[in-house]
Amino acid sequence: MTAADTAHLRLVGIAKHFGATAAVAGVSLDVARGSLTTILGPSGCGKTTLLRLIAGFLEPDAGEIRIDGVPQQGLPPYRRTTATVFQEYALFPHLSVFDNVAYGLRLRRLPRPAVAERVRRVLGLMRLDGLEARLPRALSGGQQQRVALARSLVVEPEVLLMDEPLSNLDAKLRLRVRAEIREIQTRLGITTVYVTHDQEEALAISDTIAVMQAGRLRQVGSPRAIYEAPADPWVAAFVGEVNLLRATVVVGSAGRPALRLGALELPLPPGVAVAPDGAMVVALRPEAIRITAAGDARDGPIGEVLDATYLGTTVRYRVQVSGHPLTVDDPDPAGKALLSGPVRLGVDPARLRLWPATPELLRQLDESA
Amino acid sequence: MAAGLALFVAFPIGRVLLEPGAGEWTRLLTTPRYLRLLGNTLGIAALSTVSAVALGFLFAYATARPDVPGRRLFRLVALLPLVSPPFVGGLAVILLFGRRGLVTHSLLGLRGDIYGWHGVWLVQTLAFFPIAYLALAGVLRRINPTLEHAARDLGARGFQVFRTVTLPLALPGLASAGLLVGIYTLSDFGNPMLVGGAFKVLATETYTQVTGWGDLKMAAALSAALLFPSLALFLVQRYWIERGSYATITGKGSFADPPPTPRPVRWALALGCGLVGSILAATYAVVFVGAFARTWGVDWRPTLVNFEYTVFRGPQLANSIRFAAMAALGGSLFAVVAAFLIRRTRVPGRGLLDFAAVLPAALPGTLTGVAYILAFNTPPLALTGTAAIVVAAMLVRTLPVGYRAAAAGLTQIAPAIEESAADLGALPLRILREVTLPLIRTAFTGALVFTFIRSMTTLSAVVFLISPGNVVASVSILALAEHGDWGQASAMATALMTAIFLALLIFRLATGGRLRLFEL
Repeated sequence: MTAADTAHLRLVGIAKHFGATAAVAGVSLDVARGSLTTILGPSGCGKTTLLRLIAGFLEPDAGEIRIDGVPQQGLPPYRRTTATVFQEYALFPHLSVFDNVAYGLRLRRLPRPAVAERVRRVLGLMRLDGLEARLPRALSGGQQQRVALARSLVVEPEVLLMDEPLSNLDAKLRLRVRAEIREIQTRLGITTVYVTHDQEEALAISDTIAVMQAGRLRQVGSPRAIYEAPADPWVAAFVGEVNLLRATVVVGSAGRPALRLGALELPLPPGVAVAPDGAMVVALRPEAIRITAAGDARDGPIGEVLDATYLGTTVRYRVQVSGHPLTVDDPDPAGKALLSGPVRLGVDPARLRLWPATPELLRQLDESA
Repeated sequence: MAAGLALFVAFPIGRVLLEPGAGEWTRLLTTPRYLRLLGNTLGIAALSTVSAVALGFLFAYATARPDVPGRRLFRLVALLPLVSPPFVGGLAVILLFGRRGLVTHSLLGLRGDIYGWHGVWLVQTLAFFPIAYLALAGVLRRINPTLEHAARDLGARGFQVFRTVTLPLALPGLASAGLLVGIYTLSDFGNPMLVGGAFKVLATETYTQVTGWGDLKMAAALSAALLFPSLALFLVQRYWIERGSYATITGKGSFADPPPTPRPVRWALALGCGLVGSILAATYAVVFVGAFARTWGVDWRPTLVNFEYTVFRGPQLANSIRFAAMAALGGSLFAVVAAFLIRRTRVPGRGLLDFAAVLPAALPGTLTGVAYILAFNTPPLALTGTAAIVVAAMLVRTLPVGYRAAAAGLTQIAPAIEESAADLGALPLRILREVTLPLIRTAFTGALVFTFIRSMTTLSAVVFLISPGNVVASVSILALAEHGDWGQASAMATALMTAIFLALLIFRLATGGRLRLFEL
């Protein structure tokens, strides 16, 4: 099968302007059947607008939206086979839990027993039994969230749309509800588009992440690909913590090309495009750098610990290396005293990401520094 | 303060309730004439309330939707009657549809006229729909627009969204608006007096009993009979309906606007509001033209003669302004102090004070009028016939309005601001001078303008209390209209409105447009 066959939801060249600003500037995306695809980006990147275009709350200025190959343009929301879970849930405050969930079914003129049966089933699925008669305001935040999900699931949409569904929950609850959403989604195998600005949430919940910035997709891939092989420095910096550094490709001591990173010289990984002048930008995750007390290791450059923050599962160091501060994580700090003073650093070349340093990239780098 | 409220609110009410004997009550409840009066009052109040709430909802719904053309204009239109004398509509209707009416007599040559229940219905609807509008606009504004999107997303189309979401959510607001308007229509005096003709209601009959028969006992019984339904509406509105509102819990939505309104609906809303707005504009235009026409319906040459005796030479307008200014000053001071005590301190009996400050809103004007005659006719407080009694009546009648304005002004600034001033090291006196007083001044100005306007236009209580030396403009308009002096009545109404708009203008200039009255 080709990609076009498996794509349940397909966006081609979607654009949407509000006045002079382009909220969405040419987005193409295939969402595989049964997958959970996250649109991840900072606020104002156009991700919510994109979701609203899919739901039909907005019409695109250009481009095509297909669900199961059927064009959706011009169809109002009530004719589309999508269902949205809103950021603030938008439960009908005058209707009980049961009536909220039954709302969409009654509009579809289902017979009364069928409505009751399907509502009961989905409330059971969401562990909401016994709350049927409650009004939304008598529910906790997590329960309201589940009612909103139940209300969308009960109409059996082709594509489920979720707009920052966890942002109104407190941190602890967020983790639990996140796991619940993922569990239900995989169990039902429902194609889902999930919008969030929280990169950790995106990594945890998605089959595919589409990273969006300023109306465009910068990278589409699995959570692992996004984190471990970011397409560009912006993605690397947005998803997770990263050290972005300038480096130069030089002829190394062994006569082979090597990468000079301050005092450190590393073998150049194979298959890397090199700029003519050898200037490169390097992305290095804090946990990809080994840190040891200066006396413990023979090689590796020496840095000076600026400060150390104990975070429980890790210790985060800021280390001054040849004039640049580096963020370094010690992933196994249990029982060790915090390091201070001179330290030795080691880098695994396989975990470097490299790009030729275009003027554009260097400018971004200066801005972020 | 408590003493003031006891003397000018509780004591007079007590006097009214105790005045009628068993004979009056029996007559009231057994004489067919009085029973019909009771039926008239309740019937016309119900009718006018329903139509006023319907119109209020039309305007509130239309102005709540950002894609309805002309919504800003409609908002102004709906607020205009709130700052005009309530009998402008009545006057205009007579000029248009009365025995010498422009439409009925001059254009159509009809013999009939509008006097009667239909006239009252029309005029009350126009006069009181803004009250429903204000209440409903607030309710609709607080409904989270995302709910309509959610309904559409789940399959609701067009009218289904309105029927299943918007309307049910507005229902508590509709009930509340209905009760509020009901209080006004039940006790309305000016409109039935002007255009009721042979159609009498309790309020107008109370007046007849006093001025025609001098039967204060019967008048007391009639006005007391009006008190019970109006107080019931007031209590239900205040303590029951307000609790059932859904709108406040929805919070901030992810959509700023509701879904687009279907084109035909959009234009129907604009057309409906435009039509009502035109009628309203016509009433003002008619009164204005009437004021400058030599003889309405006969001689249309422009003249100032209608202004000559009553407006320019008569003391009525000056009296109105003087009394209203005194009442507004006293009332606002009272209102601000009361609002401050109730909202910002822990004085014992705050609840009771709060209730007493808003209670006059439930008192029919005729009841206040009769009550003041009864209460202040004899020493130690023999005020009948003095200006003081008129001012006192105005003050008490407008107290709830001023109190609400003051409370609203106070809540604009959170107590935290005063606390943070204290936290930053300000001494109590300094806090009072630099933080509390400025914020009270805003509240005070709001209350002042509100109560001034209301005092200028109030009629029902004052009409019982004026003596030849201190006639005010509103009473004068009624008297002139009763004598068929349409030109002079219109001139006086025009002058009164001009004075009110000047007051509003001064208020705007004085506050730099920071504090808004309604939304004007």
